[in-house]
Amino acid sequence: MKIYFHLCLEEFTNCYVVVNDSPSVMEALIIDPGKITNEIISQIENGGYKLTGVLVTHNHENHIHGLSTLRKIYSPKIYAADYEVAGNETVVLRGDGTIKVAELDVKYISVPGHSADSMVYKIGNVFFTGDCISAGMIGDTNSQYSHRLLCTNVENKILSETEDCVIMPGHGPPTTIASEKKFNIDLMPSEEKPND
Amino acid sequence: MYLMNICSAKDCNNTALSSFDENGNITEDKGFCFEHLANKDEYVSKIKKYILDHDKIVGLTACGISFSDSDFTNKKFYGCNFQHCTFSNIHADNTRMRMCIFDFSSFENCSFLKSNIQYTSFSGSNFSQTLFTGSDLIDNNFNGATAVECSFDDSDCYNSRFIRANLQNTSFRNCNIKKTIFYNSTRDNVSLKLSNTREALFDRNTAGLVSEIDTITDEDLTK
Repeated sequence: MKIYFHLCLEEFTNCYVVVNDSPSVMEALIIDPGKITNEIISQIENGGYKLTGVLVTHNHENHIHGLSTLRKIYSPKIYAADYEVAGNETVVLRGDGTIKVAELDVKYISVPGHSADSMVYKIGNVFFTGDCISAGMIGDTNSQYSHRLLCTNVENKILSETEDCVIMPGHGPPTTIASEKKFNIDLMPSEEKPND
Repeated sequence: MYLMNICSAKDCNNTALSSFDENGNITEDKGFCFEHLANKDEYVSKIKKYILDHDKIVGLTACGISFSDSDFTNKKFYGCNFQHCTFSNIHADNTRMRMCIFDFSSFENCSFLKSNIQYTSFSGSNFSQTLFTGSDLIDNNFNGATAVECSFDDSDCYNSRFIRANLQNTSFRNCNIKKTIFYNSTRDNVSLKLSNTREALFDRNTAGLVSEIDTITDEDLTK
């Protein structure tokens, strides 16, 4: 498995291309197609990969804007927690579970808070968290209830995993589970938090 | 680019170190983490040889290894994992890094002058007398890092994060710190002279100039 990172400059969202380059497979999947660039297309085409899946972390425009472009060129299965992402073409995911995409085991974990349909994907030792968590911070929420819900979900479902797992967020630099446990300002004990 | 396997030892979920074929090239075969490695010394020398022999290092996982007195100048690291490593007296000027993880590593007396480091994590690392002068340090994670007597002068730190970092006697002179986040960091004798502090984020609840007035002293700007 190889992971390629692409920064969509318009909204500064991170898009990831994950390829299974085992000679018998040669398939690719895309996580959060914020914008489909020539570079992404070339990577798939020149690498000889077949795009078999798109994983959407949540239905926000800056994370799915490139989906329409992808659907014009390929016919990937689109996995998301919200039917509205691609209508009838969406494979709607509910709760937590495992799917096989590009012959890779992809664990999906529902982590509502930033949005009701927020989904985190885990492939190997790498989490793709969308806007649930980024380096040092929890994603934006629109209420204190959502904030607490998100913090609880992140702590129970993501930070409970092996500490050297890598987190690749929807915005900003990468991080690790150990780093977030220690330095995330939203998950610090309340007495250590800055003034909220 | 990134390559990650899980340790082949029973019930171990740690990241496996890179495996090598008989020609010394990285393979995608599943290996073991440093803890479960049978012959640690032999493996460490293989890793070091691999780095010295290649200008472009892709997908190398070498967690927990110590490197000292080496020259990594002009090397390119893509998708490498160096968590919990120790680097001392390393010359890595003009280095290029993408998608690398150096979390909880230690850097002592290292030099990364004029390097281009993007989308890389140094979270929880300790930097002592380490120089990043004149580098592009875009979209990097320095959360919880400790930097003592380090220089980031003349660097572009756009969109990097120094949340809960401990910065002592460290300078960010003439840096681009637009969208650089310093929430909850401690800064002791840190110089930000000639840097665009109005564009940086020092306090989560306020933005721009207001936050600077709260957290930056005149001394920070004139040092």
